[in-house]
Amino acid sequence: MTNETKLYKVIRYLFLIGACIFVIIPLVPLIFMAFKTGAEYSSTSVLEPPKNFLNTYNFKYAIRVGNLGKAFLNTAIILTISLIIQVTLTCMVAYVLHRFDFMFKKVVKIMFTLTMFIPVVATQNLIFRMMYAVGLVNTMWSVILLYSGVGIVGIYIMLNQLDGISKEIDEAAYIDGAGYFYTFARIIFPLMKPACTTMIIINGIGLYNDFYIPNLYLNRDVQTFTVALYKFFGSMATPFEIVAAAIIIGMIPIIIVFIFLQKYIYNGLAGSVKM
Amino acid sequence: MKTKKLSALALSIIMAAGTFTACSGSNDSGSDSNAGGNDNAGNGDAVQSTEAVDADSLKGKTITLYTHGGNRVLGEEKKDENGNTYRDESYAYLKHLAEKFEEEYGIHVDLQVNSTEDDIRPLLQTQDPSIDIYTSPNWTIEEWQTYAEPYCTLDEAKELYGDYAATMYNDGTYVYALMPAKTYDNAVVYNEETIKLAGYDSIPTTQAEFERLCENLREMGIDPIAMHRIENWPMATINDFANYVAGANDAYPGMLKSDTPFSENEPMGKTIRMYTDWKSRGFFESDIYTDFGVAMDSVGNGKAAMMLFGAWVVPQIQGRVPEGVDPNVIKFAPAPDFGNGQYVMAAAADSYAISKGSDDKEAARLFIEYISEDAQYLADSGYIAMKKGVEPIVPDLYKIIDDAVEAGTCKILFRYATDNNYMNNEEILTEAALREDYKYAGNLFDSIDVTKEPDWAAYDAQVEKQNAAYVEARDYLGYSWE
Repeated sequence: MTNETKLYKVIRYLFLIGACIFVIIPLVPLIFMAFKTGAEYSSTSVLEPPKNFLNTYNFKYAIRVGNLGKAFLNTAIILTISLIIQVTLTCMVAYVLHRFDFMFKKVVKIMFTLTMFIPVVATQNLIFRMMYAVGLVNTMWSVILLYSGVGIVGIYIMLNQLDGISKEIDEAAYIDGAGYFYTFARIIFPLMKPACTTMIIINGIGLYNDFYIPNLYLNRDVQTFTVALYKFFGSMATPFEIVAAAIIIGMIPIIIVFIFLQKYIYNGLAGSVKM
Repeated sequence: MKTKKLSALALSIIMAAGTFTACSGSNDSGSDSNAGGNDNAGNGDAVQSTEAVDADSLKGKTITLYTHGGNRVLGEEKKDENGNTYRDESYAYLKHLAEKFEEEYGIHVDLQVNSTEDDIRPLLQTQDPSIDIYTSPNWTIEEWQTYAEPYCTLDEAKELYGDYAATMYNDGTYVYALMPAKTYDNAVVYNEETIKLAGYDSIPTTQAEFERLCENLREMGIDPIAMHRIENWPMATINDFANYVAGANDAYPGMLKSDTPFSENEPMGKTIRMYTDWKSRGFFESDIYTDFGVAMDSVGNGKAAMMLFGAWVVPQIQGRVPEGVDPNVIKFAPAPDFGNGQYVMAAAADSYAISKGSDDKEAARLFIEYISEDAQYLADSGYIAMKKGVEPIVPDLYKIIDDAVEAGTCKILFRYATDNNYMNNEEILTEAALREDYKYAGNLFDSIDVTKEPDWAAYDAQVEKQNAAYVEARDYLGYSWE
């Protein structure tokens, strides 16, 4: 190994170590905080480790008082239903846009793209009133409906996947007597599994962390995890050691998902960049 | 082929429509638009006692009350013997009151805690009947008009609340939120044991002696005053202290009277300068408090000695004193004499409004009246009942101020509801980009860096800059003192 190669290696590692520190540093005080007592939190530096790493009081308190169990269940129901609908609809839209030529196809594509430029907040006043008018506010169906909409990023991921699925497969199916829906549902849709997995992961994490929509629509009895977390925040004072414990609890499902599906995340992200 | 194209088009359009509802995160609380319109055609019902309502007809109803005062619903936040945080439900006074009310009237009160008024704004905008009563701080009169049912006329309120009625949220004709009690606002909250360490039994009555106390505390390594500057809202307390400096209740709107409101010859300018001077002398916290709770903890545990806030923080700090320490060491005293005498601001407190969308306005009104007649509940909450015919119970925390008022050494200044001068001043500060985050005070306060030798030239330059911006905005808007 030449000196130059060694130098590059050292620089590379230093850069990566620096990047890791940059990411990990904010997490360290959070973990410390979660194991501190309230008195310890208010009298010690945030970078000072807790006296007792076995102090699980904050975690128990957060689960009990924040009703986190119910919040997780609500989140799981909302995510499962809305992701199934969203992925199915996105695949259908992408399939139509990719495989068929029809009048105003470009207009439809432009419409999807335009939605990228409309801030979510700008439309919520109107959408909230519509939801309210049909009686969906304070039910999880309002959030499910909003989360089920098709986004342009998802369409691009699907279109990219469809590029790799030969049109001859469709044509062979038609020759064998399959209709459009049969071809899509039984032949194309299963082949789009990697793109669907990517979309589920990317959107799932985004929806899991979303606060704005659930807080707006589910302000009372039905709460998602992020809204339940927010309930610990007081108008003036907040027990941050409890909040830290709740945040760590909230990170666990994401970490589990990441560990089991990281192969799909990396592959999906790499693939979706190609347009 | 045509069918294929049409079905593809139809499917795509349906999907396109779906995408308009697709969303991503943002924690903006939404817009302020007025769904209900500004309908002031209120019922103007007279303030009535609970006895005047046909309560039997309301039995079995459920009303919902949203409040930002979570401690009165969930209990006071305290620390157990191990230092862990818990809620002491014996302090959940509103919850207990609602239970008592249900026993007596058969009306269930569902209590909901909201962190800020923005949490309930969407429901108020749609006039959702699921909100009957709400409490909300710091709203403009326009917002009260938009979301609240007029509770009664101002004249009717005056019959039962005297002069204090004018301090409730009103537009000159209607009162929008009943505020059945009074409170003393920003003064000195202190830990008696801590100031004793510095050789004082009570808060000095003169500025010079007060500053000597601060110096003694600082030399002992104790933070004299916990301000919690990391957030902006504590800067608002300067407005009341400017009133004490002026010896009048109009220092903030009174900025309109001057071309140099931020200079030392004006109450607001003098007060901000005084705060900044205290900062340069190390009278405020030496460390950053990560949260207001930590700032209150510091007074409770003696790391700091005082806070310059309203009476509302006293019960909260009392709940934070270490195990075994008498909570009554946390006391509340008038601010020292800054040259024009000793004063304390008094204001109507604890606002309760009925939502315009409420389906059970009668039951809601009955509960609010029930609150107004329970002097013990109001005292437990840190307030003094004001309704005529209700024997007030004065909370212990007001003893020092009451004694001073009684002795004539401290005078009361009433905080009246917002008037044109107040609103115009707010608009000028907004136009001058000084209102948001209390920049009119914060910019000056922050211009001195305590880690270096204080640079008062930088402070004076900022004063000049703000004076110029204020006058320019005032002239542009065409406002003057009315």
